[in-house]
Amino acid sequence: MASIRNGFCGRTRREFLWQAGGGFASLGLTDLLTRDGFFARRGGVAGGSSSGGSGEPSGPLAPKAPHHPAKAKACIFLFMYGGPSQIDTFDYKPKLYGLDGKTIDIDTKGRGGSKNQGRVVGPKWRFRPYGECGHHVSDLFPHVARCVDDIAFVHSMYADSPLHGSAMLMMNSGKILSGAPCLGSWVNYGLGTENQDLPGFVVMLDQSGGPISGAKNWNSGYMPAVYQGTVLRPSGEPILDLALPDGMTPREQRRLLDALRAQNEAHLAARPGDTDLAARIQSYELAYRMQANAPEAIDLADEPAHIRRLYGLDNPRTEDFARKCILARRLVERGVRFIQVYSGGNHNDHNWDAHGDLVHNHEKHAGDTDQPVAALLTDLKQRGLLDSTIVVWGGEFGRQPTAEYAEGTGRDHDSAGFTMWLAGGGIKGGIKVGATDELGYKAVEKPFHVKHLHATILQQMGLDPNRLAFFHAGLDQRLVGTEGAQPIRELIA
Amino acid sequence: MLPILRPASALRAAATAVALLAAAAAQHGAPAAADGWWAYRPLQRPAVPAVHAAGWVRNPVDAFVLAGLERRGLMPAGESDRHTLLRRVTYDLTGLPPTADEIAAFVADASPDAYEKVVDRLLASPQHGVKWAQHWLDCVRYAETDGYERDRKKPFIWRYRDWVVDALNADMPYGEFLRKQLAGDELPDGKVADLIATGVHRLGIWDDEPTDREQHRYDDLDGVADTAARTMLALSLGCARCHDHKRDPLSQAEYHSFLGFFENLRPQEANARAVPVDGARERFARELADYEAARDDATKALRAAATAAWDAMDDAGRMAAAGKAIADVVASYTGERGSAERLIDEVAGQDGRNSGQVVQVPGVRGQALRFDGDDHVTVPRVVGGSFSITFFVRSERRGAGSGNDTRWFTGTGLVDGEVPGIVRDFGIAWHSDGRVVAGVGDPETFVASGPGHHDGQWRHVAFTRDQQSGRIALYVDGTLCGEATGSREILDAPKDLTIARMHPGGRGFVGDLDEIEFHGRALAAAEVAALAFQLPGGVAAAAAIADLPAFAQLRALRRPDFETVEVLAVQEHGGDGPEAFVRLRGNVHSKGPKVPLAFPALAGGGAPAQVVPTPHSSGRRTALAQWITRPDHVLTWRVAANRVFQHHFGRGIVRSSSDFGRLGDQPTHPELLDWLATELLARGQSWKALHKLLVTSATYRMASTFDDKAAAADPQNDALWRFDRRRLTAEEIRDSILAMTGELNLERGGPSVYPPMPAAVLATASRPDDAWGDSPPEQAARRSLYVHVKRSLAEPLLAGFDRADTDASCPVRFATVQPTQALTMLNGDFAQRQAQRFAARLAQQAQGLDAQVRLGLQLVTQRPARADDERRLLALASDLRRDHGRDEAQALQRVCLVLLNANEFVYLD
Repeated sequence: MASIRNGFCGRTRREFLWQAGGGFASLGLTDLLTRDGFFARRGGVAGGSSSGGSGEPSGPLAPKAPHHPAKAKACIFLFMYGGPSQIDTFDYKPKLYGLDGKTIDIDTKGRGGSKNQGRVVGPKWRFRPYGECGHHVSDLFPHVARCVDDIAFVHSMYADSPLHGSAMLMMNSGKILSGAPCLGSWVNYGLGTENQDLPGFVVMLDQSGGPISGAKNWNSGYMPAVYQGTVLRPSGEPILDLALPDGMTPREQRRLLDALRAQNEAHLAARPGDTDLAARIQSYELAYRMQANAPEAIDLADEPAHIRRLYGLDNPRTEDFARKCILARRLVERGVRFIQVYSGGNHNDHNWDAHGDLVHNHEKHAGDTDQPVAALLTDLKQRGLLDSTIVVWGGEFGRQPTAEYAEGTGRDHDSAGFTMWLAGGGIKGGIKVGATDELGYKAVEKPFHVKHLHATILQQMGLDPNRLAFFHAGLDQRLVGTEGAQPIRELIA
Repeated sequence: MLPILRPASALRAAATAVALLAAAAAQHGAPAAADGWWAYRPLQRPAVPAVHAAGWVRNPVDAFVLAGLERRGLMPAGESDRHTLLRRVTYDLTGLPPTADEIAAFVADASPDAYEKVVDRLLASPQHGVKWAQHWLDCVRYAETDGYERDRKKPFIWRYRDWVVDALNADMPYGEFLRKQLAGDELPDGKVADLIATGVHRLGIWDDEPTDREQHRYDDLDGVADTAARTMLALSLGCARCHDHKRDPLSQAEYHSFLGFFENLRPQEANARAVPVDGARERFARELADYEAARDDATKALRAAATAAWDAMDDAGRMAAAGKAIADVVASYTGERGSAERLIDEVAGQDGRNSGQVVQVPGVRGQALRFDGDDHVTVPRVVGGSFSITFFVRSERRGAGSGNDTRWFTGTGLVDGEVPGIVRDFGIAWHSDGRVVAGVGDPETFVASGPGHHDGQWRHVAFTRDQQSGRIALYVDGTLCGEATGSREILDAPKDLTIARMHPGGRGFVGDLDEIEFHGRALAAAEVAALAFQLPGGVAAAAAIADLPAFAQLRALRRPDFETVEVLAVQEHGGDGPEAFVRLRGNVHSKGPKVPLAFPALAGGGAPAQVVPTPHSSGRRTALAQWITRPDHVLTWRVAANRVFQHHFGRGIVRSSSDFGRLGDQPTHPELLDWLATELLARGQSWKALHKLLVTSATYRMASTFDDKAAAADPQNDALWRFDRRRLTAEEIRDSILAMTGELNLERGGPSVYPPMPAAVLATASRPDDAWGDSPPEQAARRSLYVHVKRSLAEPLLAGFDRADTDASCPVRFATVQPTQALTMLNGDFAQRQAQRFAARLAQQAQGLDAQVRLGLQLVTQRPARADDERRLLALASDLRRDHGRDEAQALQRVCLVLLNANEFVYLD
């Protein structure tokens, strides 16, 4: 769907990259030098003659061969912004119930700083075993609970920061310092996109607003903007400036575009050999096709009644997240590579950040999303898509077992140990990996850093996390950091 | 073809360059080439090569380029026509399209120096700095917010942006340009502008809620040092933070030695500082001396009168006076008695509770209370109707807040009851630059003193409030500083007051307080004076002085003020910088060996000859600046010349313009680069001279015509066989669209503006209602340099066309082609609105559709309209009217939309 100074054809890769203007140099491009077919070798527009005609994918978002055969073609990342409490959702800690209200010695670090004592807030929901695997899930997620045999829980996640700003950036870009490309950008950089008429990295935000730091959470950082996430709105005009201006008909716009194209081709005819000019002509045709195809992708009119019921689209409570989950599935079906759906936005109790009333907060957010999330897994499975789609659920961190304030049930942030789960895309179902301590605060058994989660997702999508590199500022930058990280082997089927 | 550079001046320049280098080498010892890599070799002026086709050569730049072409058997492209050349040079020097008048004048000018005159005009245009500032700002990560959760504004940082524009317009010598940014605050006779220049070190991302504060501070310092090294030296210094550089001879120890030059910087902070405008301090000192002399005269007279009256009283009279003096005192904290926990009220047992370690020191009378920033006292709020609060205060510190916002609660609390929100509260604070400010809430009403009370002298403060009239007044040392009328309600919030800190929290007051008294009524001016001058009899002495001429004189006196300007600039911790250590793996907590302050060996190395501390800073950055701007520095001048070349020719002689090391590219024209670097030195380090040299070269004037043979031999145009066509930058695209409609507002400077932001983009912010501002239309039409740069919310048109990401230094932008750009330019509100206005302009300036379309074509392409283009667009207009029911105005609007989307508009031949 896009091109950086289109026309890689006939030039060396290094030259191509220089034209992209990114300050690349050959030595840093280990990936390029070690793997054929990284950039599409099909030239969409060679020279000026075939300008804009073929629509053949080319340039930086053209499909690229993976490092190794991919288990997952697409990834849906369900981002529970604000930090859901692991011990109230999927990390069953029976001992905690009896400690409710008791002050114990425990070293914690969160928004409120470092503490060495705290009043335990017992889990506020009952846990029950589900499925063949017997995994315990709290009453917050009765629907998701029925899918546990397809899910792998990682109970021993940890991250570098217990503070939203930096923790969000870490979960999305692997770094607590702003400026690095996000996971979805890396996936599109590594694999390109299957469907040139839709963006390859799509983000759906909460109705209440974006997460803190806004666009930094789907930004491509030091990579070109073609790799950044596109915000997709689930109704109305799905993509910024996609809709025709008031009063303009598609037929009229076509007439306009024909005139523009003729104008630009006359200009190009006097400037043979300029692939940039040709690429720009083609970009208008791609835009025209996006206008037609993107609204179709978000139009749920053809979804049958049983699907609407399955997701909870007819229930006002779940309608919003249901719509986004159905859309996520539709986008996967249409070849979109990476889809991120936010539960929660804005600040305070608009997201999972339960500092005050835990029960009120988590009842709301779990209640809004439980059925749609379960339906997404069920629906993908029944369509045979779950095998090739990796679904990830979790927030930027979890929550502490002790209370944040003298009164109430609110919990502070916990980046020392929290739960994320994955399903599909070659991930084993019905398993759990790692464990927190008996209070659920800290990862003690097989701790996994966020970069291991990222490495796992890249691995399943056919990319070697330690080879996927982008040369920037004198370094081969990687999502998993210069020191690298291995995927979580226990998860991989 | 006349050579622009006359032989004599060329020779003179060459001689100067050689002499400069020789002198520098003699002074410093020639820098050692670390390892033979081209960029670290001593800078020497190469001879201008001989060429066969000498007739093509306009100045030495061309000789170097032509020699390369001839070596490869290539021919330079022909010269561009005048329209193309004017368009190119106007964009390159000002970022704007030429106007119709400018085109006509140039095309008609048959004089041999017609082009040179154009270049001089463009270089003299104030818009030149607006264009070239952006290139620099990309390198130094210019943004106006911090990023992260709150993405706070960097207050007044736009003054730095304006400083860059002004410096480039004034053609500040490049060395001075660097020195002022690196260490303008350390200049002995520094001006406010020099301080503003150091705002460059305040541009980075900053997490105000970091998970590891000390590590984050080092991350920020790393950004500062790395940005300076990349931008000024094309050194990928940051690569050696965690380990030795993989490819260049740059060790981790050298990284930390270099970081040491910045290590004494204070961390980024939320507030700007109000600093006196140039000359204000001197003026203030003079006026203050006059004021103090007059006040002392008046005081002397008052004291004499009060003493005489007191001496004339009998014991009963004195008893009565004393009784009167304390009659209305509802609480008195003299500091004489107390405990670690309590502050004793001498009058009514309204004791205060101490937090921290409030200690006693000798005061105005007996003991005073000393606060060190971590202490405060909580006392009951014993007043609320009519009252006065009086005390003595002494401090050498400025208070919090800035002189441009003297609401009391932005300062450091002295006696404070601030409650957030619209409530009936009040407080007195120690404020910016030694001001005292006070105020009441609902409605917020403030009074402020002038600055300069932070001189370590005891000052008497009195804040009076009369409930019936709502009048509040603030006195310092018996002189009225200000009065205002506020609420007439009981001030009933909160229950307690806090002494020596703001009531809700924050940093505490550092200094001493004595004789804190709460009076149950608004004291009269004479009573305040009696307390301030400690006249015998206390407030009762008012009777003896109220009618004296000296008191009238005192009341007429106003303490002088000075005008301040808000700047966001660097500050250091003081004269002694910390020692520098290697931080293993880049982790601040893993201290490795101590390292000396030193310069990287590959660029000459060595330690600074001397580091001279200033009263407020270590002097280290000055030492660094002196090294970087040495005339024999192997990198500085090459890097600068390359950057200027880059933005005229679309790429540097070294394409990796911020990395001259082994991970970067080799120069395509190494001799030309060295020649330009020495030329920059020889011509007074003038960028404008370099601009002129480059854009008047035959090389620059070449056409962008394609050539099969040359393209086959040199597809990348390394040898410069033609001029590289380029897309306009994001800013140029937006500015050009506004120029087409005639709405472009060329006003320069000042706070950034907020063009309308699509609601769909606002909805992506975590606080959609509070994410962006609203500028009036003529301000929203300012040049793009002046559009607010917010890290978490990008302006979609500019971001879409590859505006730099500001989290890291961006020496070379991407130039992508994406369908989303097409969507923005076709359907976006801005494009639609501008097409409408463009059409309106055409309709106003030309009669009939034919003429309107022709004018539109001329404006957009800046050349005469061609018949086929006209025919095509007229056919479009006619189809739209016939087949799509459009009237003439609507059809013209759509023609204008096509024009604004044309490749010819967006690309520069």
